[in-house]
Amino acid sequence: MADAILVPQVGQDLTEAKIVALNVKLGDTVAKGDIVAEVESEKATFEVEAFVAGIVISLPYGVGDLAPVLEPLMHLGQAGETVGAAAAAPAPAPAATPAPASVETATAVSPPPIAAPAVVTGSGRSSPLARRIAAQNGLHLNQIAGTGPRGAVVMRDVAAALQTQPAATTAPFALRSNTTLKSLQAGTGTPVVFLHGFGAELAAWLPLVARIAVQNPMIGADLAGHGAAATRTVTGFDALVDDMAQRLAEAGITSTHLVGHSLGAAVAVALADRGDLDIRSLTLIAPAGLGPWINGDYITGFVGAKTEAALRVWMQNLVHAPDRLGDAMVRAAFAARAGSAMPGALDSLARSLFEGNTQMFSVQAALARLNCTCRMIWGMQDAIFKPTDANALPGLVALHRLPGVGHLPQVEAAGLVGRLICETVRSAS
Amino acid sequence: MARELMYREALREAIDEEMARDPLVFIIGEGIAERGGSYKVTEGLLAKYGPKRVRDTPIAEAGMIGVGVGAAIAGARPIVEILYVDFTMLGMDMIVNQAAKFRLMTGGEGRVPFVLRTQGGAGGGVAAQHSQSLEALFYHIPGLKVVMPSTPADAKGLLKHALRQMDPVIFIEHKHLYMTKGMVPDGEHVVEFGVADIKRAGKDVTIIAWSNMVPRALEAAEELAAQGIDCEVLDPRSLVPLDKAAILASVAKTKRVVIVQEAVRRGGVASDIASIIQEEAFYDLDAPIQIVAGLNIPIPFNLALEKASVPQKEDVLAAVHRCLHLETVG
Repeated sequence: MADAILVPQVGQDLTEAKIVALNVKLGDTVAKGDIVAEVESEKATFEVEAFVAGIVISLPYGVGDLAPVLEPLMHLGQAGETVGAAAAAPAPAPAATPAPASVETATAVSPPPIAAPAVVTGSGRSSPLARRIAAQNGLHLNQIAGTGPRGAVVMRDVAAALQTQPAATTAPFALRSNTTLKSLQAGTGTPVVFLHGFGAELAAWLPLVARIAVQNPMIGADLAGHGAAATRTVTGFDALVDDMAQRLAEAGITSTHLVGHSLGAAVAVALADRGDLDIRSLTLIAPAGLGPWINGDYITGFVGAKTEAALRVWMQNLVHAPDRLGDAMVRAAFAARAGSAMPGALDSLARSLFEGNTQMFSVQAALARLNCTCRMIWGMQDAIFKPTDANALPGLVALHRLPGVGHLPQVEAAGLVGRLICETVRSAS
Repeated sequence: MARELMYREALREAIDEEMARDPLVFIIGEGIAERGGSYKVTEGLLAKYGPKRVRDTPIAEAGMIGVGVGAAIAGARPIVEILYVDFTMLGMDMIVNQAAKFRLMTGGEGRVPFVLRTQGGAGGGVAAQHSQSLEALFYHIPGLKVVMPSTPADAKGLLKHALRQMDPVIFIEHKHLYMTKGMVPDGEHVVEFGVADIKRAGKDVTIIAWSNMVPRALEAAEELAAQGIDCEVLDPRSLVPLDKAAILASVAKTKRVVIVQEAVRRGGVASDIASIIQEEAFYDLDAPIQIVAGLNIPIPFNLALEKASVPQKEDVLAAVHRCLHLETVG
């Protein structure tokens, strides 16, 4: 199958990137990790890395062209393969070390008509009958948890999926146009909205989205003061939540699954607690607002970093093993600040949310009132919050503690987190 | 209406009725006339039809089978009873190279309405040379029909049909079945070849079994029913011709198949049926086809070892569980 190499999102507001170098031509053989192109925003030049090996089978742009971001820059496949075949095939897994702050290595976000999920989450085994019935009903086997021998999907699994997936026949979800929310992957059924953490932006979710095999539309939202919403300055946690509620309403989202990381996870809990949205499920990754302590030095250092090198030092706190922090993550995070309103907005937001080592807001009470499917994922080596904050959770909340993982489980254990989100969304559909 | 008969009585009725109906039918074999047969199938026939049509032979299977095949070619309807299927090996040239080929090699002018009645299977510690299930040898040879009844009614109806059709038939009874009882319809009862019988209807798993494995499969099915598993037991009755349509229809319904044969696993009829199913019903299958068969060994004399070498009810239960993926449930 062919793999699409996407034009990276080079800035929050930019819809196009300029191609300044193409290191390959049609028919070239590319190795995984090769730099295949360079694209430019107003602020920086980004190298585009091949996340798989293959032969260049489509290359629609030339040097100097403007290419829309998050659309295919080229396709890699096998000799003789065409891109049409690529569209019909499931997209591949993203690179081993995904880059959350840019999308240099993300996979296709515009799915084929039958929304093919991006990644095989199961064992890949199935019975012939299960395959036939699933195909007849437009289900993808890799969206179905197998209970047969060694994880094989058998008929009872397909039957169960058919009962719980009426979404397969509903119309594709369409975002209203006047919104700063962005579709991460099209689909049908109840949307899944992703809320990033402090200092990040919606594009950070793209590598993870490629690992989530659901048919639901997946949508990214920038918190106020971040990314495309950098100019919307708010003060205090409640205002942050109100702003997001307003954005969701503007986008026409009334019923949703929420996936949040850190500050975004706390916002997700607060949104669920408001009661004006039909929240189907919550997946909370390293959520803020559970305990009082936060690594205040990190916040100060991260917000105040004036150089990429300084930013890198502070961002090392996010991951348990230093090599998990990709260069691209740091570079993109730094590039996002240059000339943008984001540093000022972050500074002011940080002052209203944190005081030294103290989180000035809590979602503990809201969490206790929660009445929907909720899964929480913590890295046991989180250096930003205390992982022990999760010791006293309401019984409804499922907790996954990941050893050897820091504050970015969605990067450090992307496969597992993708699977857990997938299971949460499916179980609550 | 129907009467309860033993398997051996039903066979006797079939021979008796066909001998009365058709003067060309005769029967020869070891101890079948004066003694009435080792399993008492031919008891009373000598008195009724006389020594020309009910005849004892020397212990000379090759000669008996040769006589039968020759008589059939000449236009008679012989039944040759061979005491154990193991002993048919002595007459394999007559069966395989003569009887099975004659129709083709004469351009269809010559026919061989030859019926070889014999019995096989393990049971009672009669050891390696008297316990084999050799249907696969005959199944393999084009030109032969292979019939293996499991009930008195089928035994009667199939034997009557064998004596009315024009090709060589290997009619294999089972030593354990002669004393079993079952209802046999009154009056004319003929069962055509190539028509499978659903011995028990069910929706969860198809168990295909023949001969003595049918009662064993039914026993397993009853136990599984108590576990909420609804098995269909399909008896092909004739292996050649095989009722493929009935098998495929059952698989289309249940999606899962267990094939039970007493014969050794290697090169068996079960493997061939499995290959037909996977080829023609692959997309109906929700689990690998399970074959429960005898071990690839000569049947031991020791009774415990004999039992261990052929399929038992527990083996069938386990195979059904496997194809329902039950071993993977907590």
